[in-house]
Parts: sequence; C-alpha cells; structure tokens
Amino acid sequence: MADYVNNPDESKEYWGRYKYFYFFISMTFLTFAIRLWYLQIISGNELRDFSEKNRIKQMKIPAPRGLILDRQGKVLVQNLPGFEVVLSPQYISNLEELAGHVGPIVGLEPEKIITRVQRSRRVNGPFALIKLKENLSREEVFRLKRIHLETPGLEIRETILRHYPLEKNGAQLFGYVSEISKKQLPLLNDLYKGILKFEQGDIIGKSGIEENLEKDIRGTDGVSFIQVDAHGRETSLKNPNILGEKISDQDATHGNNAVLTIDRDVQEAAYKSFKKLDRIGALVAMKSDGQVLAWLSEPAFDPNEFAATISPQTWNQLINDPFKPMRNKVIQDHHSPGSTFKPFVALAALEEKKITETQIIYAPGVFYFGKRPYHDHQKGGHGYINIYDALERSSNVFFYQLGIKLGIDKMYDYISLLGIGQKTGIELAREVPGNMPNAAWKKQYRGEEWQEGENLSTAIGQGFVNTTLMQMTLAYNTIGLKGKVYKPYVIQKIVDQEGKVLKENFPQMVRDLQQVQPNGVKISEHTFDIVREGMRRVANGDRGTARFWKIPGVQMAGKTGTAQVMGFSADQIYANCMSRPIHMRHHGWFVAFAPADNPEITVGVLAEHSCHGNTGAAPIVRDVIQAYFEKYHPEMIADGMKNIKIKKVQSAEKAETTEDE
Amino acid sequence: MELSVSYEEKTLLKRLDWNLILVILALNVIGLINLYSATHGPNSKEVESLFVNQIVWLISGWSVFFIATLLDYALVLKIGYIVYFINLLAIVYVDFFGKIALGAQRWIDFGFFRYQPSETMKLAMIMVLAKVLSARNTMGKGMGFKELMWPLSLLVIPFVLIMKQPDLGTAMMITAISGTMILFARVRKHILISAAILISFSLPLAWKYVLHDYQKNRVLTFLSPENDPRKTGYNALQSKYAVGSGQFFGKGFRKGTQSQLEFLPERHTDFIYSVLSEEHGFVGSITTIGLFCILFFLLIRIAYQSRDKFGAMLAVGVLCYIFWHMFVNVGMVIGLLPIVGVPLPLLSYGGSSMLTTMAGLGLISSVAFRKYLF
Repeated sequence: MADYVNNPDESKEYWGRYKYFYFFISMTFLTFAIRLWYLQIISGNELRDFSEKNRIKQMKIPAPRGLILDRQGKVLVQNLPGFEVVLSPQYISNLEELAGHVGPIVGLEPEKIITRVQRSRRVNGPFALIKLKENLSREEVFRLKRIHLETPGLEIRETILRHYPLEKNGAQLFGYVSEISKKQLPLLNDLYKGILKFEQGDIIGKSGIEENLEKDIRGTDGVSFIQVDAHGRETSLKNPNILGEKISDQDATHGNNAVLTIDRDVQEAAYKSFKKLDRIGALVAMKSDGQVLAWLSEPAFDPNEFAATISPQTWNQLINDPFKPMRNKVIQDHHSPGSTFKPFVALAALEEKKITETQIIYAPGVFYFGKRPYHDHQKGGHGYINIYDALERSSNVFFYQLGIKLGIDKMYDYISLLGIGQKTGIELAREVPGNMPNAAWKKQYRGEEWQEGENLSTAIGQGFVNTTLMQMTLAYNTIGLKGKVYKPYVIQKIVDQEGKVLKENFPQMVRDLQQVQPNGVKISEHTFDIVREGMRRVANGDRGTARFWKIPGVQMAGKTGTAQVMGFSADQIYANCMSRPIHMRHHGWFVAFAPADNPEITVGVLAEHSCHGNTGAAPIVRDVIQAYFEKYHPEMIADGMKNIKIKKVQSAEKAETTEDE
Repeated sequence: MELSVSYEEKTLLKRLDWNLILVILALNVIGLINLYSATHGPNSKEVESLFVNQIVWLISGWSVFFIATLLDYALVLKIGYIVYFINLLAIVYVDFFGKIALGAQRWIDFGFFRYQPSETMKLAMIMVLAKVLSARNTMGKGMGFKELMWPLSLLVIPFVLIMKQPDLGTAMMITAISGTMILFARVRKHILISAAILISFSLPLAWKYVLHDYQKNRVLTFLSPENDPRKTGYNALQSKYAVGSGQFFGKGFRKGTQSQLEFLPERHTDFIYSVLSEEHGFVGSITTIGLFCILFFLLIRIAYQSRDKFGAMLAVGVLCYIFWHMFVNVGMVIGLLPIVGVPLPLLSYGGSSMLTTMAGLGLISSVAFRKYLF
C-alpha cells in the first residue's frame, strides 16, 4: 500500500490515455442522439400511428336487419339476441391449451380448432377473427365466460340472430341469411357499388326477400373503438383523455322494415293444409289486384338453421333431397299445365268463333287424328257435350277438336296475352319464363315445322307448353277479372324505424284484354262469362271434377289438371297412378278464384306427385280460400252455413279420382 | 492519530465529490419516476410491489456507497481475490443448483432477495484486474503475452461459467469491461493485431457451435425485425414503436400506451429506457443519456486525479462497467444493437444491479475522497 501512496506520479502514466474515453463516450452520445432524433422526430408520426394501431381495436357493430312483416304488421322475420364465440389469433398465447379448453364446450375437436387457427393465420394473417361457433346456448356462454379471462384470444360476442318464427313455412319466399362467401364478395360489391359495402364476415340475404331487399333492410354497420392491452383484453386507462378526441364510436343504423302483402293467417292455413295432406309442391294465393297473400314451396328448409351455423350434414341433406327443398317452386319450376290449360284454349276458340256457347260436339273416348288415336282420360268418353260440359268434365276429345280448329298460332296469340310463357315480373330472383310455343318458335328452336298433331296435345296443356305456378295463378286471376292483367307483387312497402314509408308498391294493371291488344286480339266480356261459368261448374256442377270441395257461402271457379312427369302409354295412363313409385306419379294442378261471380282471391296449387289435381291440389285451394273468407268475410261463410242445411261435405278419400285427365 | 481524525471529520463533507453524488441522485430520481410508471399500468398488479422494493435497494445502495467511500479503497487490494473467489464459488453453485428463470440459471434465491452472482462478478472482476493491471510496469511498451496470461485467465474462468448458465449478455459484459481495462493498461501492438485476426476467424465458429438458437435468433431478428413481428422480432419492434411514438415531448407520465398496456416486454427491467422515451420523448431521452455522459466525465476526472494507478484503474473499471451497460442497453432499446438481456444501471429494476452499481460508484467515491491524501 505504501508503494501507491508514495508514488503519486505513477498514475500520470495513464494521463495520455483518457482522451480515448472522451472520444468514445462523445461519439456514443452523438450516435444515440441522432438515432433518437430519427426515431422520435423524423419517424415519430409514423411510429405513433403504429402504437395507436396496437391498442385501438376497431370493432364492427353489425346493424340489425329490418323486420319483415305481413300486411297487418304481424312478424314474419325478426331478430333475436344471440352469442357467438370468436378467436383472435394475434392474442392467442397457447393454442393447444385454448383448443383443449374451448373444444369440449362448443363440441368441436381440439385438433380441428388448432388446424383452423393455423390455416387462418397463414391465409388471413394474425388479425383476422375466426368465428368458431354462432348461436351459442346459455350454458355454452356461461362456461366460456368462466374460462374467458385466463384464455387470451378468446372472445364471446353478442350478435343479432335472424329468427324466422314460421320456420319452414314460406322459407323460400322469405329466404335466409348467412355469411357472405369469398366468391360473392367482389360480385356484390360491384352490384351495390356506391350503395353498400360488404366485408368478409358480413351476414347477407342469400335468397328470397332477404336477398331481394338487401339494400333496404340491411342497415348501416357501426364502428366502436376499444382500447386493448397486449393480451387483447379491453382496458381503460386511469387517464380518460388518452383515447384522444378524433376517435369516436359510430352507432349502427337499424335496417328498414319490409311490409309484405303476405297475410300470415292465410300463409299458415296454407301450410297447415299442405301438412295435413302430406303434400309436396307449391302454392300461391293472390288478391285479384296482384297482391300475393300466401306463398309456399314444399318441402322446405328451416332458415333458422342457416342463421346459426348450418351443419354440413344438414346442408348435404338439403341439396341432395330429390324433392328440392331449396327451390322456390312457385316461380323456379315449370311444368306442363295439363287440363288447367283448357280454359285458355276455350277463350281463344270462343273469341275466334270456332265454337259457340251452345254448339255441341261429339266427344268419344278415343279420337283419331290421321291414323293415330288420341285418348280421353275417361274410357267411355263424354258423348255429345257443349263448352260448359267440356270444361266441367275436362273432356280431352272436345279440346282436341278446338285445337285443330284453332291451330297453334291462334292459340299463341290469345294465350300469350294471359302471360303464359313470360315472366310475371314478381320481385323475387330466378323466376323462369316457362314456354308458350308457336310455329315460329318451333322452327327456330327445334328446326322443324309445326305438326298438326301437336295442336291436339297443346290444346290439353301437354307438349311444348310449360308454365310456372305463378303464371297459371295470374292467368286464372285475369279470367276472374274478365281480362284485367295485374302485375303480381309481394313487397307492399318499405318503412323506416320511425314508421315513415320510404317506398310503396300499388296494384298495377298491365293490360285489359277486353281492349284490342298490339297483336290485334281482344277477348270480349261475353267470352269470359262463358269460360268463367264453365270453371264455376268444375267446382259446383254435378259432374265437376272438383265438386267435392266446397265452401259454405262462397263459390269457387277453377280447373283441375295433371302434369305427366314421364311419358306413358294409354294403358299405363289408366293404370292406378297411386300404385307407382312416388317420383313417377303425376303432378296435380288446381287453380281457382272465388267468389266465382266477383272474384277477390285466386289460389294455385301444384301438388307434386299427388297423381290428380282434384284430390291432390283442390282441397288445399279450398282450405286457403276458406281461410281467407273466414278472416275477411266471415258473414259470407255464416250466411252459407245457414242456407246450406246439413249439406254433406264429402271427404277427399271418397272422391272419384279417374275423372280428371 | 486523534488529530488527523478530527481533521478528517471537519473536512468530510468538503472532501466528498458532490458532483458525482448529485448526478447519481438525478439518475436515481429519473429511475424511480420511470419505474413507478412502468410498474403501475392498469393491469400490472403483480409488479406494483417492485417499486417499493426498488426504494429499499436504493437505500441499501446508498448505504453501501457511503461505507465504500469512507473505507480506504486500498482495502480492495487485500480483499480483491477473496471477493473474486467467493463470487466464483457462488457462480459454480448457481450453475448447478440455481433458480431457473427465462430459460437460464442465474439466481440464488434468498427468499427476500434473488442474488445474481454473475452481476457482482463484474465488480469482483474490476477489483482483481485493477490490482493486477496497475501492478504491471511495462515501461511504455505495453503488455506482452506473458504479462497478459494472468489477467486473461482471471477473465476466462467466470466467462465460461456464465456462458454455461447460459447468460450471453453478462458474459459479454464482463469481457467488454475486462477487455477495455486491459486495453487501457496497454497491450503490445503485435498482440493486438493477432488477437483481432483470431477473433475474426473464431466468430463464425462461435456462431455455429457456441451460440444457442435463441441467441442466434436475436441477432437475426436485429438485422430484420419486421420478418417475424409476433415472435422474436416482437420485442425489438414494440420497443421501436414505444421510443418513436414518444416524439419530442413524450406522451406524458403514465400515459405511454406501449408500456401501460403491456405491449413492451420486460418494461421494468431491460426495456425501462423505452418507457422513458415513450413518456418523456426526445427531451427526456437526451437528458438521461446526457446525465450518463456527465457521470462518465466525472468518473474520468476522478481516475485522472487519482493518487495512484490502482485507484485510476478502479475508476476506469467502474466507468467501463456503467458505460458498457448503458451502451448495450440503450443501443438495444433504440434498435441499434440486437436484443441482449442487460439492465440499464440506476434505472432498471433489480437489487443485484443496483447494489453492484452503487458499490462500484462508492469505490470511485472513495478514490475521489482520497485524492488529496499524499
């Protein structure tokens, strides 16, 4: 120690070396200062943005879709509160653990959750949310909430669940909602350019009214900004003004309500009747001015299952069902109209004076055209009959002869005016036009001349004629109104949440056939009277094909028909239809309006694979018309009950089924 | 003797280096303010108590500082090797029985205090090297191979043991401190040149065989942090956002979202400077490193005025200790250096670091205290 104390000069040896320290320390300070200047001053704004994005999470507040109501304000489609569980991969700290906890609660295999999260991370990046399950049960919500805090990345969100109280009833009309698909996203953004903006994960209407009215009932989504910490937990800082002033939440705007022309009571009566008879097929009921009252397509899907996450099994079942529950059979399917076509031919023949009101024609069981036999559905034929009888009993041979006299082009002139072979213009998407042939059409599309024999089959609604149920119902409605063609519609008005009417549709007459039309054709009131009387007898005459289904106090006027699903020889036609496998049975038609003398409502039913129009479709039409009058004109039914004393109403089972072609 | 004692007592306050004490105090105050913010976020219940702990460490640190000041630093010549070997034993103990934290064995758990012997080893290293190096008289030519053998051996043993934990940061720190001291004591030119060549050849080999994967990742991440923003690059990126978003005046005390919302990792220890930069901006950041620079210049002045080579070497050692920590820590936080787990002296939370730093500064204070004693 003494050495050091006694040699103070020794430390001078180091003196020259301190300058290196000064230099190095100064350089370090300078470098750090430059770097800090660069980060905090030059890149400061940009990095501040990054740090803001870190903590501010933008959350979309989905707008509730507008309600869909019936003509009297009864709910057809509504919203219910629901819960869904989502994962945000950016905050997941232990994926295996999370999957192990959450999987059993929501009924998913943990491995599947892991692969889903990994795939989403890869494909969509760490910030895209993954919807694990929608429409959680209360118990699921409760159990998830218990593990929620210890499981970063797990979120339980309140959602709005679309609810269809009628379930399968009218499902194809109301449609369903589900998440927008990747394919649809650019298409819809293009279609609604400047009006709506869709994003991945949005719930949109996929069919029916939900699809058609997307822009009206959708509403505007809101945004909320919440502050989260590094683990994704919502956090409020002790200092309230830290969120800044420029960021503020935006509320969602409720979508507008849609009021339909549908009457929920009539709709339910129709469904009940379909179910009672265990029918499949389609139904449409409209007021005479074109307002659709009921719309049914059976079998159907339950749109509530789509609103939640539909299971792959259910989906496969739906799309592989041979009876096509996803299809809106009112407008998307067309069939041969069969005998329901005869009133149209009658109109043309009477107007063209090919037959008169009183003229009698011989209608045997077989009619030979050239050498070929054309059969009546009734083996013995109908003997000598006039136009009223021919309609009442549905004589094929009578109409064969009218077909020959008229020729296809005359038939075309009149019948196309009734709307056959054209879209009716109803608001819903994917309506098919059906087909009303003429000679030129055949030449163009088949490359052949029209054959005389084809006039016969056309006259009884077979051959190239194809019609949708909506067309048939509209055409019958026109006959009921003696020539006034209305445009059918189902959307009455769009109303905002305060009840202000934004859009309203009114009955619209397209043309009046009693006036001369552009093609030089008109149909006189007298002609309509004759055909209407024939149709009245179908439901009321002693030999009418639909005489078993009556409503006390209200007379229906209509026509039955059968659409063959495949070609049969004469013998096979007579063979008992009901003994065939169900998919080979004929479709039954019945379209009618009521009251017969001053119609208010027209109802069409296509009863698929029910063999006959009278037993298959007519009782449903009767039920629906009866439900309408019981609701809107109970006095007529009551009067009818008084007048008709103990009138036997025969059951459908007892009805003779061979009378109808 | 009685006379001299009374003389010492009279001039005790005058002989203290008040500049040194004030600068240290200033850094302490900044450190405490900042640590309070870092440990009092909305969700940081579990770290709140650390602030009080730090105050305890600080008081203990100042006690050690004044004890060291009053003791003649010549005492270190006698006990240097003892401290060194006890410390070495502690490291050996830690290597085999220590507490595992963050994938490395570093601590001996005393219940109230988790002692990290590799931290105090830095000071022990300074003590023995100061003794050995100040005794070398090379007549201005610098140390040759023979003279270097012993100091290098003293370095290599703890280096290997600490690398084994594995604690690359501390091992590098010890090397940097010792290396600077050795260079300061002068090394012959041809040895310097061959050492430089040797290091440049051995680096690739070290990369391949010595470094752990996580350490390689840190280096790779440093070179391109945006490549993997959620994993290894996360810390570097979040720190960059924190520092940059502070802008000129900072977001304000306890308003730094990066730290308060826990986006910053290790925010009360290794990333304490990010918290400071975010909340107090360019002004606060520059003030802090400016204070460090003043501290460094004060230490250099003490070394310069030291009564002997040993005191000067001791002061240089402590200077290197604080400088290299500050250099690596701040360099890492502001994205100039890869992520290495090194605390920022006087600001980071931690008892071992605080006590070691204050003890080291106490020694220097002792050197300053005795500069007039001839």
